[in-house]
Order: sequence, then C-alpha cells, then structure tokens
Amino acid sequence: MAIRNGTRAGLIFGFIMVFLILIGVPETINVILQEATTNIDVETGQVINTAAFLFVMGVVAGFAAARKEEPDPLSGAVLSGLIAGLITGATTGLMIIILRSLALSEIDLREYLDKLSPTAIESLALRLSPILAGGAHVLIFALSGATGGLLNWIGRGPWRGPVGQMISNTRDRLARLPIVAQAQNSPITRYVVWAAVIAVVMIVPQFLNDYWSFVLGTVGIYVIMGLGLNIVVGMAGLLDLGNVAFFAVGAYTVGLLTAPEPVGVLWDFWTALIFGIVLAGLAGVILGVPVLRLRGDYLAIVTLGLGEIIRILIRSDLLKDFTGGPRGVRDISGPSLFGLEIGSERTFLYFILVGIFLLIFVTIRLKNSRVGRAWIAMREDETVAQAMGINTLNYKLLAFGMGAAFAGLGGVLFASRNQFTGPEDHTLLVSINVLAVVIVGGMNSIPGVILGAFALKGLPEILRQLDEYRVLVFGGLLVVMMILRPEGLWPSQRTRLQFSDEDEPVPIELSSATSAAPTPIKADVEEQKQAATR
Amino acid sequence: MRQVLSVDSIHTFYGNIHALQGISLEVNEGEIVTLIGGNGAGKSTTLNTICGVVHAREGQVVFEGEDITTLPSHDIVLKGITQSPEGRRIFARLSVLENLTLGAYTRRDRAEFKRNLELVFELFPRLKERQTQFGGTLSGGEQQMLAIGRAMMAQPRLLLLDEPSMGLAPILVQEIFTIIDRLNREGTTILLVEQNAQIALSISDRGYVLQAGQIVLTGSGQELLTNPMVREAYLGEL
Ligand SMILES: Nc1ncnc2c1ncn2[C@@H]1O[C@H](COP(=O)(O)OP(=O)(O)O)[C@@H](O)[C@H]1O
Ligand SMILES: [Mg+2]
Repeated sequence: MAIRNGTRAGLIFGFIMVFLILIGVPETINVILQEATTNIDVETGQVINTAAFLFVMGVVAGFAAARKEEPDPLSGAVLSGLIAGLITGATTGLMIIILRSLALSEIDLREYLDKLSPTAIESLALRLSPILAGGAHVLIFALSGATGGLLNWIGRGPWRGPVGQMISNTRDRLARLPIVAQAQNSPITRYVVWAAVIAVVMIVPQFLNDYWSFVLGTVGIYVIMGLGLNIVVGMAGLLDLGNVAFFAVGAYTVGLLTAPEPVGVLWDFWTALIFGIVLAGLAGVILGVPVLRLRGDYLAIVTLGLGEIIRILIRSDLLKDFTGGPRGVRDISGPSLFGLEIGSERTFLYFILVGIFLLIFVTIRLKNSRVGRAWIAMREDETVAQAMGINTLNYKLLAFGMGAAFAGLGGVLFASRNQFTGPEDHTLLVSINVLAVVIVGGMNSIPGVILGAFALKGLPEILRQLDEYRVLVFGGLLVVMMILRPEGLWPSQRTRLQFSDEDEPVPIELSSATSAAPTPIKADVEEQKQAATR
Repeated sequence: MRQVLSVDSIHTFYGNIHALQGISLEVNEGEIVTLIGGNGAGKSTTLNTICGVVHAREGQVVFEGEDITTLPSHDIVLKGITQSPEGRRIFARLSVLENLTLGAYTRRDRAEFKRNLELVFELFPRLKERQTQFGGTLSGGEQQMLAIGRAMMAQPRLLLLDEPSMGLAPILVQEIFTIIDRLNREGTTILLVEQNAQIALSISDRGYVLQAGQIVLTGSGQELLTNPMVREAYLGEL
C-alpha cells in the first residue's frame, strides 16, 4: 500500500514540480521572499528560500501520499511520504542536473523557455554543482516527504482518540452551560460578533499601501457584484450571464453625469450614484420582462447576448456623441464627504467596505424573508412554487432587478475609482468573472461570495509576479479547487446537502417558529438506517 | 348540498396531444370525490387544469360560482384550491418547517399561520418531530404527509390529492388514507386521484372513472366498488 500510494503521489508531484519550475514559480517565490526579508544577503537568501520552497512542496507531497494509508502503523504513513518525496526529488533532481549542466556550459535556455534564466537555475540548484544539486533535491524531498507523512499521521493517528474525545467532551459541556446557551441564542451576541467583524475589517486598510488598497478595492467591487448575482443565480436560480450589462449601466451613468465630456452636466457624485443604482435596477426589470419567460439554458444564452449588445452599443459610432464611443469617458468624479474628496485608494476602499456591509445586511434580511423563501422555492421547483401561490414572474423580475442594481453599484464604484470607463471595461469576461466568484465561493452563501472574490480577483494579483503564466497557474488552481471542493469554498448548508451522499441525511438546525424542543434527529436517523437494513 | 367545484366539458392539450376530451365533473361541499383510471388516462391533467398549472382550451372550470378557467395557478391558490401533486414534489433542500411555511405563502396572518401549523402537526405528529430536517431526508411516507400538510397550510376549501398512495408500503397507505378520511370528516372537501381504487373508493362519497381523456362511468363510491367493469379493470378481479 505504502509503495503504491507513495509512487502515485511522487509521480504527480514530480510532474507538478517540473511544471512549476518551467513557468518560474520557485524563482518568483524566491523574489517575493527576498523582498520580505531584507536582512539576509542575496546569495544565502537564494539558497534558503529555494530550499524552503522545495521542503514545503515535499511536505505537501508526503501528506498527500499518506492520506490513503491505514491509521495504525506509523511506518505506513511515513514510508509512503518518504517514497513520494524520493520520487519527486528524483524527478526534479534529474531535471536540475540537466538544467544546471546546460547553464554551466553557457547555453542560454531562455531561448526556449524564458523563465529559465541563469539566476533561476542557480537558485534551484542551491548554488551547487549539477550532481550535488540533484542529490540535494532528492535529500530535501525525502526528508520533507517523510515529514509530510508523519504530519498526516499525527493529524489523524491513534493518539487523536483520547485527546480528541476530551476536546469534544469539553466542548459539549461548555455548550450545555446555561450562560453559553443563552448567549448563543441572544441577539446581543450576534450584534457583538458583527461589531467585532466590522471593527477588524475597518482597521485592516490602515496597514495597506496604495497598491494593496487598490487590489482589495477591486476584490470589494467584485464582492458587491457577486452578492448581486448571488441573488439572481444562487437564490432565485436564474442563470444570468449578462451581469456586465448592468455594471455598464452603472459605470456609464456615473461617467456621463459627472464627467465634463461628452455630456457635461457635471452632477454631484452622490446624485449620480443613486441614479446609477436605480437606472441599473430599472434596466434589469425592463430587460427582464421579455427574457425571464425563458427557462434554464435559453435564459443563459439570451442574457449572454444582452451583455454583448450593451458593450457594442456603447462603443458604436452611432452613440459616440452620448457615450464617447471607443475612447470612453474620462475625468469621472469621485465621492466627497462633507466637502472632503475621497481621493486616495485607501479612503475609497473604506467607501467600498461600507457599501459591502450595507449589501450584506440587505442580503441577509432578504434571505430570511418571505421574498427569500419565494426565491428558494422557485429555484427548487417552479411549478410547485406557483402552486403555493407565488407569482414567479414577479419574483424573477425582482431578483433580476436587485442583481442588476447591485451590479450597477459595482459599475459606479469601478468607474468613479478609475475616473474612467470605456467599452473594454465591459466585456463578457466581467460577467464570467462574477459568475465564477459565486460558483467558486459556493452558491447562495455570503462568506462564499467574499472568499470567491478573493480567490478570483485577489489571487491573480498575488500571482502577478508570474507575468504571462499567471492565467495558466490561476486556471490550474481553479481546476484543482473545483475538484477538491465542487460545492465551492464556503457552501451554504443547502448546497452541502446536494453534494453530500444522498442517503446520508444532513440534520440541520433552522430557527423553528414554534420553538419546540430540539428533536433527537441523530437517533431518528439511526432508527431509519436500522429499519432500512431490516 | 352546495356545489364547490364544477368542471364543464374541458378539453386540455399538450401541444397536439388531446389529453382531456370533454371532462365534466362536480364536487359538493364536504365530499370526497375520487377519480380513478389507468396510467395516462388524464387524471393528473384534470387536477392540473383545475388548479391552473395547465389551461383548458375549451370548457369551463367554476369554483364557488367563479370562473377560474384562465387564472394562473398562483391566483387560484388565493381562491382556495391547493394541490398535493403527483410524486409529492416537496422542496428537498428546505426543512420540513420551511416547506410548511411555503404552503402558507398566501396566508399572511401570523396567528392563523400558527393555528394551521398546530393543526398540521396534530394530524402528522411525525412532521413535528422532524421539522428541522431537510425535506429530502424524509422517508417516502413522511414526504407524502409533508405534501398533504403543505397543501393544508393554505386552509384550502378544496384539496386536490394526486395519488397519495404512490410508492408506499400497504401499512403506510392505510395510515395516509385514515388521515385523508379524517381531514374530510373535519370539513375539508377533497378531490382525490388514485390508482389504488379499492381503498380510495371505500372512503369516497362519489367517484368518476376516466379512460383516455373521457369520463366513462360515475356513481357513488359503493356503486363503483361493486360495478363489474370497475372490478375487472381497476380492482384486478375477473
Ligand atoms: N407535460 C406533458 N407533455 C406532454 N404530454 C403529457 C404531459 N403530461 C401528460 N401528458 C400526456 O397526457 C395524457 C394524460 O396524462 P396524465 O394526466 O398524466 O395521466 P394520469 O395522471 O392519468 O396517469 C397522457 O397521454 C400523457 O402522456
Ligand atoms: Mg398522474
């Protein structure tokens, strides 16, 4: 077992390592780490950083290899980790022997792959001669692989039994204390938690420079759009691929109303903001009327076309005098508060954060309301929802309009922060990104949308060092993520049910109107299972 | 006896398929009326035409003196007709309580809601025990109870039940029909569709036999139970 698991993980990680080396990931990490740790000289840093990177990868490989091992003999887990490490190390070691030899004989590999610069190879070889470098790789990976296996064993090994028991016992006992139970049910606890979250989030920007404030601002704008699309797709179950249309309405509303050209009415930002949201929402409702009679795939295709039509319209010569055509709209004004310009990226980030908190509040209220229930019912079974007395067309329009209004706000913020908007800001890619935010994060889950926005708009910025391979790595990460967590990063309880085994009931606690005593669901499930086997 | 529902020679189509070819029937206040018939006879289509899921091309559906033929289904619920549909179709990813809450969607009065909920829980104590569980995790019998309970939450003046015994063990069928009978005794008017003709007719005041979109026979529950044609075709006797 150990040999097979180890070999499989070793081959997979060997392959991954070769790929990462070819696209220059180790060197990028080296550069990032060097920037972070200024007090070590470059050469030592080069060796330490690379070795650390290799070690971490080896630990991951060993951990992965040991995952399928039996919990009991420690040797199984460590052995499979060791084997995985050896194979990974042999692969990269072989590669580094070749690369290092070639580099030392003055062959410039950048002609073939531009990430294989002499310095990159030097770091990878830990500044050693080819053969020693190969050996070092094998050694590092063997050690780290075994460590990974050991860590895996510790994570779930036999010792976990009594200690784990103790922890869960303590937790149960704590939960049964009257004070704790009371605190859990009291709204005050909820307010305190929210206040703490808001406080922490509001402090964070103080530690960010302009660049990261900008990046987080972009993430924030996608959170806003994601929250909107989540209402449409997640709650109401309408697959909308034309979100960018309403983003564009918001962006162009603020642009045209506040910029000196081409319209030049020079309105105040706040008025334009309200107009942007309202107009986008209205556009959603108006466009929704013909579109929302369609179901499923048709709806997706038509909304997709809708987004493109808007983009083509705004860049057309026909509307050039009103929209600025391909050149877009410049000098869009930003918000000001009590006469103070919100100019810096950081203050703008605060502005976006306030918007996010407001929208989260609205979303939560909607979710637990009659409207939210109607949306969910409609998503689950439209015919039956109608038979419950739900006017599904109206509710679809409402969802579409709300999603559009949120997207409109996103557009307003985006255009006013960049002080510019043009047709290229409003491509299909925006819709797809927002949809990806919702799906990657986890449908119908607010924390999911936030995580999704970080993964999709924040991660690429962190990977920016990878230049042209950024998208490739990013795509790879997305694929891995969706394989590991198909239900999203932070799915809602309902989605979890859909992705869990069908015959494994997921008991949940939802607030009950009659506030009856909690039911012994566990026992019932057992009973059911026994009945089924009888 | 006051007439609650009168269906007057309705014709319903699915595209070119002429599913209902002039069905007429009526239901009086306080009755249980059963439609029996083979697969594809048009039983579900009849119920769906009454509650507006599909619409008749010809003919009329009159409920409490009002023509509801062309009303959309969400308006018909407001008039007082609800259905427990074929195959139950409960919301699998919603809790039992949420399913029931949705059933009461048209009833906005909170006190009334609580009363109806108590009523349903009293009828189906098992639903009360499982109110926080997801609908999809219930057993078949419990799902049927939930479907009926959900339909009852709107306090219907006419309850449509489409094959409540479908796929249930005999003992559960008995249990469900006992409850249907009780519901009726407590004042709910019921139009029932069943394949299980024996048990359905035995609790029914009247019945109709449907064949290929037409009504071929009608009579009291007892009459139909003893009718040779019914016995042969639907009760499996020769
Ligand atoms: N959605 C539909 N589309 C097309 N034909 C349908 C549809 N539903 C039912 N039918 C047809 O209408 C006829 C009556 O069906 P139905 O009312 O479901 O019968 P029953 O409930 O008595 O089994 C059948 O011939 C069936 O094939
Ligand atoms: Mg049927």
